[in-house]
Amino acid sequence: MTTSDSVSDAGTGVEPKVEAAESEIRIGVFPCKCGKNIGAVVDIDTVAEYAKTLPGVVHVQVNTYTCADPGQKEIQEAIREHNLNRIIVASCSPTMHEDTFRKTVKGAGLNPYLCIMANIREHVSWVHQQDPEGATTKAKELVAMAVAKATSLVPQPELDVPVTPSALVVGAGVAGMQASLDLADMGYKVYLIEKEPTIGGIMAILDKVFPQNDCSICILGPKMVDVIQHPNIKVISMAEVDEVSGYVGNFSVRVRQRARYVDPDACTACAECIEVCPVDIPSRVDQNLTWKKAIYIPFPQAVPSSYVIDPEACLGMDLLRCGKCYEKCEQHAVIPEDEDKIIEFEVGVIIIATGFEPADPKKIPRLGWGRYPNVITSLEFERLINAAGPTEGKLVRPSDITKPKSVAIVQCVGSRDIHTRMGCSNFCCAESVKCALLIKEHYPETEVVIYYQDLRMHGKYFEDQYHKAREEGIKFIRGRVGEIQEYPHTKNLRISVEDTTHNELLLVDFDMVILSMGAEGVAGNVPLPISVTQDKFYIESHPKLRPVDTSSAGVFICGGAESPKDIRDSVIQASAAAGRASIILQRGRYPIEALSARIQQDICSRCGTCVKRCPYGAIIQDGTGRYTVMGALCQACGTCAGDCPKDAIVMPNFTNEQIFAQIETALKENPEEKIVAFACAFCSYRGSDLAGVSRMQYPTNARVIRAMCSGRYSVKFAQRAFELGAGSVLYSGCHLPADCHFQTGNHWMAKREPRIRNWMKRKGINDERFRIEWVSAGEGKKWQQIMTDMSEIAMKHADEIRKKRTAKSKGKTKGGKQAKSKRSPKTQGTKKGKKKTTKTKRKKED
Amino acid sequence: MERTTDADRINEIQHSAQPCFQCGICAASCPIFRVAPDFNPRMAVDEVLRTGTVAMTGREWFCAYCLMCEERCPMEVALSEILIDIKNLSANDGKVPPSIIEMMDVIRFTGKVSHASKRTEKKRRELGLPELPKPDVDEVQTIFEMTGALDRLMRFREAEVEPE
Ligand SMILES: Cc1cc2nc3c(=O)[nH]c(=O)nc-3n(C[C@H](O)[C@H](O)[C@H](O)COP(=O)(O)OP(=O)(O)OC[C@H]3O[C@@H](n4cnc5c(N)ncnc54)[C@H](O)[C@@H]3O)c2cc1C
Ligand code: SF4
Ligand code: SF4
Ligand code: SF4
Ligand code: SF4
Repeated sequence: MTTSDSVSDAGTGVEPKVEAAESEIRIGVFPCKCGKNIGAVVDIDTVAEYAKTLPGVVHVQVNTYTCADPGQKEIQEAIREHNLNRIIVASCSPTMHEDTFRKTVKGAGLNPYLCIMANIREHVSWVHQQDPEGATTKAKELVAMAVAKATSLVPQPELDVPVTPSALVVGAGVAGMQASLDLADMGYKVYLIEKEPTIGGIMAILDKVFPQNDCSICILGPKMVDVIQHPNIKVISMAEVDEVSGYVGNFSVRVRQRARYVDPDACTACAECIEVCPVDIPSRVDQNLTWKKAIYIPFPQAVPSSYVIDPEACLGMDLLRCGKCYEKCEQHAVIPEDEDKIIEFEVGVIIIATGFEPADPKKIPRLGWGRYPNVITSLEFERLINAAGPTEGKLVRPSDITKPKSVAIVQCVGSRDIHTRMGCSNFCCAESVKCALLIKEHYPETEVVIYYQDLRMHGKYFEDQYHKAREEGIKFIRGRVGEIQEYPHTKNLRISVEDTTHNELLLVDFDMVILSMGAEGVAGNVPLPISVTQDKFYIESHPKLRPVDTSSAGVFICGGAESPKDIRDSVIQASAAAGRASIILQRGRYPIEALSARIQQDICSRCGTCVKRCPYGAIIQDGTGRYTVMGALCQACGTCAGDCPKDAIVMPNFTNEQIFAQIETALKENPEEKIVAFACAFCSYRGSDLAGVSRMQYPTNARVIRAMCSGRYSVKFAQRAFELGAGSVLYSGCHLPADCHFQTGNHWMAKREPRIRNWMKRKGINDERFRIEWVSAGEGKKWQQIMTDMSEIAMKHADEIRKKRTAKSKGKTKGGKQAKSKRSPKTQGTKKGKKKTTKTKRKKED
Repeated sequence: MERTTDADRINEIQHSAQPCFQCGICAASCPIFRVAPDFNPRMAVDEVLRTGTVAMTGREWFCAYCLMCEERCPMEVALSEILIDIKNLSANDGKVPPSIIEMMDVIRFTGKVSHASKRTEKKRRELGLPELPKPDVDEVQTIFEMTGALDRLMRFREAEVEPE
């Protein structure tokens, strides 16, 4: 493997040097019988004989099982013996064995990207079982297309970049803390960034935590201390990420840390300062239920264990305006001249653990929060029932500081509602049951009713909790609360709810109502190009198989930032993210996609279109105005190349030249009968393979051209195919909106449709001859249907052409004069006329 | 003919009811359900979903069409469409209650649903609002004739249900 230490070689886009293509092309073709799988339908010997006649082919060797050990050895021997420099294996789908054969040729000293495949099994023998002749012809042409492509293949470098053995973790809730501890324990340096003055996230201000209802800070506090004391973790609190540049293995991070005005190393948290501070401001940690001073500590167990000054509230740290804390502090910890700091460092991987925020009750006015003091949120309840909270753990009504005798808990607030957030917030059912149990535990005589829509107690131990709640006499009524009204004098509340089990309206009075708030996403508040859902949670690379990876290599997500979840799931995900990240850190080097895009600087007009197309932010403009591709970020989808107006972008192994060569070869014989079908490697090509695996039969006239992503299909491909007389052309991709393996390639492809159709209109090409179809890897049946339909379209077109031809030749045989007069009849005349008018129209448009 | 359109209508209603997840917010918000426990908008939606029919008991006419239900429905179920469609089906079935027929007559002869009282007029003047326009009764009559509303009215009257 060629490796390169120099980052500029591979990472920043300076084109890596590629060995010059050898002057003489020596192609070896290896048609495979695949036992009877191919051999029983396709006449392999005929294919082999035909291959020998193709330009550049110097060696052809038929094998019964090419993928078996002896078959692979034969390829390697042939490479050495015949000095082959391009290899074509005509056998099964490249999805199946491209990797295998690339390794084979590599073993013989050839660059692996000089080996390609012709799919004569899934695309031929398995789907044309009843038509051996047609199948053999198709196999021959597929081999010819591969040979045409192989002629212009060039070796691709296999590069990798060095990885900085450190990590950035953004957000120090329980998820960020866990991920940091895991990576730090493995020996990697971790920078943990938290925007608040303390780490801990939401969990740090909860009272008890379900499902066992153990004390939250008692289990989290020690972990917070572990984090701050870990020699490998640098906690940067009151800080946010300003900028991230670079790519996997080599991110440069700039963090802005706000001034704390108290030296955390000097402050002993003695609390002398708050005795003298004259300013009271609402306490955010206590949900504004009480006051704190302008110099404060969020809560006693805060980490770092240091006070902080709120500069907005502070009267002035100088002695003239106030400066009382400054004077009082014996540790001289107050620093009036403190300033925001910029901290810069390099990391190899990034984990985003920015959590979520409790939903905003102000958005649901019918429930009265903010207007009626005794309607509180679940987080406010957590503070009220917390021994360290504003009431030292006494549950009281905010309106009159009396103990409520009856409490209603209202579920699904801010969740499962199109107007706020469609999704279920996952933790609030268990949260409600926890609140109810806590009330019963403190005040058994209190009446507690939970109004729920669906009680989702799905987690481990959750059902026990539910069971306990029923035993405690907590009432559960199915129905979502419609509205809450207040009795103006007593400040008691009346809720209106339908008991949907009994089809009965209930108007019930309570002393207090707790709104079980869902989650609101905050994703997107870190400057990284990771896509987010509509409700602002990060989108994972694959919802099932890569749940903590993102589309950006080296960037991972966990905890509430990914979706609303409880503590246990957040911690599980955090460890998973740390594990995934450590794979990159531990290897020390990161391989670069060998087929990444390259921009030909002499052709590029610097329009910047490609930057907008790239889903990975892989294309950047450097200081001199040049656009370059960062090899380590590029995933080789080719969406940029699909829309580059200058064709300045080279997609190795899928270059314009190669694709045009495939189109031209496919259309050499009877073009009007052919379907030129473009299929993307991840969905539609696999769908076509599935049709093969399932032996779904269809006509033999399709010639499939594979690309990594449908984003690669430029307008020109269809145009070239039609210019060469193709019967029909198919652009197929992964389903809209979200199935594209490369995120947005299919969207950009779909956007090209009008341009293609307008062009077709101008050229008088029947609209039905071009199709865009979305085919998933599971839709073999759909592929079969499309092939059958498009074949009919092509055949219809071929018929028309034939009719025209015979009409013409008839005219010819009847003699020149008649032929001339033949051309004058109305139909032809009008056609010509029409064409002219369209031409002149176009000119006018221009 | 009439039947098939109704079946189509029901299909459409059923389609717009599909997002409903039976939370009960509509019922808890409905001012009519508060006083008439027989009329429950959630159950109306549920019935359409569950049985594919609308039971026309006459209660569908209780709905005041205030649309509090639709306003608060978390799934944006088109209750405004469903509730009016149910009324239309019920009307086709000859189940229009006498009070509604009477109201139609009032509109036909006066061009209004109800008379503006002296107080309303005074209030409008105080608020600086323009005087209410006098409806052109002849025009209303023509509209009734041309839209087929008159025919319907006559049909309803023939089928008039006895008040229970
Ligand atoms: C009222 C309530 C009660 C709950 N009760 C329970 C319970 O009993 N049991 C249970 O298992 N779960 C409970 N949960 C869920 C629990 O809070 C979450 O599972 C957990 O907090 C998720 O942890 P996290 O680290 O992903 O996110 P968070 O705890 O939200 O932490 C995210 C951290 O990232 C920081 N941050 C955000 N953006 C940035 C940024 N741009 N830069 C730097 N830092 C940033 C935030 O300040 C925060 O400190 C409850 C949730 C709520 C709202
Ligand atoms: S789209 Fe093409 S021409 Fe435009 S900047 Fe990118 S490479 Fe250059
Ligand atoms: S659009 Fe695709 S091919 Fe082009 S630079 Fe981005 S990832 Fe690479
Ligand atoms: S409010 Fe909407 S979703 Fe809820 S029961 Fe009524 S119609 Fe169904
Ligand atoms: S529109 Fe009808 S069903 Fe809906 S809230 Fe008003 S009265 Fe009730």
